[in-house]
Amino acid sequence: MSGAQPGMSEPLLVLDNVAKNYGAIEALKGISFSIGKGEVVALLGDNGAGKSTLVKIIAGGLEPTSGRMLFEGKEFLAKSPAEAKAAGIETVYQDLSLCTNVDVVANFFMGREITRKFLGIPVLDEPAMEQVVEKALASAGTRIPSLRTNVEHLSGGQRQAIELNRFVHFGGKLVLLDEPFAALGVEQTRRGLDMIRQVASQGIGVVIITHIMQQAFQVADRIVVIRQGVVAGDVARNKTSPDAVVNMITGETLAGAGPAG
Amino acid sequence: MNPRTRHALEFTLDNLVWFMLVFVLVVFSISIPNYFQLGIFANIIEASSVLGVMSIGLALVIITGHMDLSVESVAALSAMAVGILFCSAGIGLGVQLHPEWLMVPVSLLIALVVGGIIGTVNGYLVVKVKMSAFIITLASYIWVRGLVLVISGGRSAQDLAPAIRWFGIQRLLGLPLTAWITISCFVIFSLIMAKTPFGRHLVMIGGNETATFRAGIRVTRNLVIAFVLAGAIAGLAGWLLVIRTSGATANLGVGLLFNAFAAVVIGGVSLKGGVGTLPGVYAGVLLLSAINTAINLMGLPANFTQVIHGLLVLAAVLLDAFKQTIRQRLA
Repeated sequence: MSGAQPGMSEPLLVLDNVAKNYGAIEALKGISFSIGKGEVVALLGDNGAGKSTLVKIIAGGLEPTSGRMLFEGKEFLAKSPAEAKAAGIETVYQDLSLCTNVDVVANFFMGREITRKFLGIPVLDEPAMEQVVEKALASAGTRIPSLRTNVEHLSGGQRQAIELNRFVHFGGKLVLLDEPFAALGVEQTRRGLDMIRQVASQGIGVVIITHIMQQAFQVADRIVVIRQGVVAGDVARNKTSPDAVVNMITGETLAGAGPAG
Repeated sequence: MNPRTRHALEFTLDNLVWFMLVFVLVVFSISIPNYFQLGIFANIIEASSVLGVMSIGLALVIITGHMDLSVESVAALSAMAVGILFCSAGIGLGVQLHPEWLMVPVSLLIALVVGGIIGTVNGYLVVKVKMSAFIITLASYIWVRGLVLVISGGRSAQDLAPAIRWFGIQRLLGLPLTAWITISCFVIFSLIMAKTPFGRHLVMIGGNETATFRAGIRVTRNLVIAFVLAGAIAGLAGWLLVIRTSGATANLGVGLLFNAFAAVVIGGVSLKGGVGTLPGVYAGVLLLSAINTAINLMGLPANFTQVIHGLLVLAAVLLDAFKQTIRQRLA
């Protein structure tokens, strides 16, 4: 599989001892790792390990208790998703972030509508937006009967396709994917993984959270494991094995003290 | 279900209120003598101008998934403020401005600002302090009405300055200017909701607030604006009210809230938020007004209206629930 080699790329985002407390509970005890340009990092960990918290901190939905982040070499802290987006960070969340009461086009352009001025007032340019969505979905091979149907009438897979195509289209510099394939079928998942490689090949950094080891090994350049709020492992994909990663996740020693495979 | 049936069904659900309006008008025209006259239809539109404007503000807030119960009292406060300043009898101070027409923009501005201020207070407490919209605006409904009583001392102001009153008398195509103001408000706000990013964002916030926040839409700001708009629009309704009655009494507009509520819900706005359009709300307003006119023409005692309105609100909420069930079946 092609893609930028880890180590060769300059770091896009550096996390330095990022911690998050909820009262006395330490959700993240201090996370440090980095993501390079065009690099795909799979973030693995058991339920409650702190993966989603970490993604929210990078994406501007949560503020860290301590620690710092460097984005493109500069100190970075997004106070809101809008700020993160403005900096070039796109996020696809685990629970779908679509408004089911409006149509496909409105969702695709949520918060970034194309407008033209009419008497100085911004007016939605529906034909232009519809064209873009049509093109984006077609090139990704997603079939949605009508772009003007409300999303509530679409299947889970179609909904997720809208979100995935949205980040491919808007790109940015860093993409965070929190279990993006939960509702997808086999074929759609394969296409989704292709999309990720395609996005990475454009020099965009990708962080993907997944529970499925196979997906991580299929798409990632590097695998970062979080356990109980700390980084329990940070290895290049081609220098590790699924068994070793499972051990990191569950907390067995790295040396392979678990039963032989 | 084939796509065409579904399309037809959805179209019917989306425009149900217009069908109901036409149906009701036809039935009344056939069954009630003297109902079918241009003058009666003009009267239906005219009588609904205050309610219409108020419903716009209420609908905006409900579409975002919130609630504003204070619109009626806010309208009364604005009406009383204008009444006290520009009426010449009763508690009116009879303020005169020269040239006379200057009283129009000044009184309008006062009404809008009074409404806007209450709307800001509501918006701040609901959106920023994150308190329940129902409770906060219920409180406003009570204290703002109390304020009306306090500043009026329970008495009334009469004889509004003729320059302002002119809007209620001057007619264009058979309708007083106040009715045209309502119609233009509906046109303007319908366009804002359907054609601008701001309107689109309000609808999406009503649908899934988290999603809009994550998408980088400034949810807090948009919501506060919606509350301020609802207040200011209620202020405009108060301005129309004081013109209509040529004065202000302490209990001016009592009961309008529930009519507005009924109009909004009958008009197809879902109380869950995110669903509904302003043209539908206008149809709801006209429907209520058509029924009121029918009650008047039939010579039923006025006391009946309240019973009928109550039943209409109940019917509207049931209809809302029923429509949601059908939509879920469709999905």
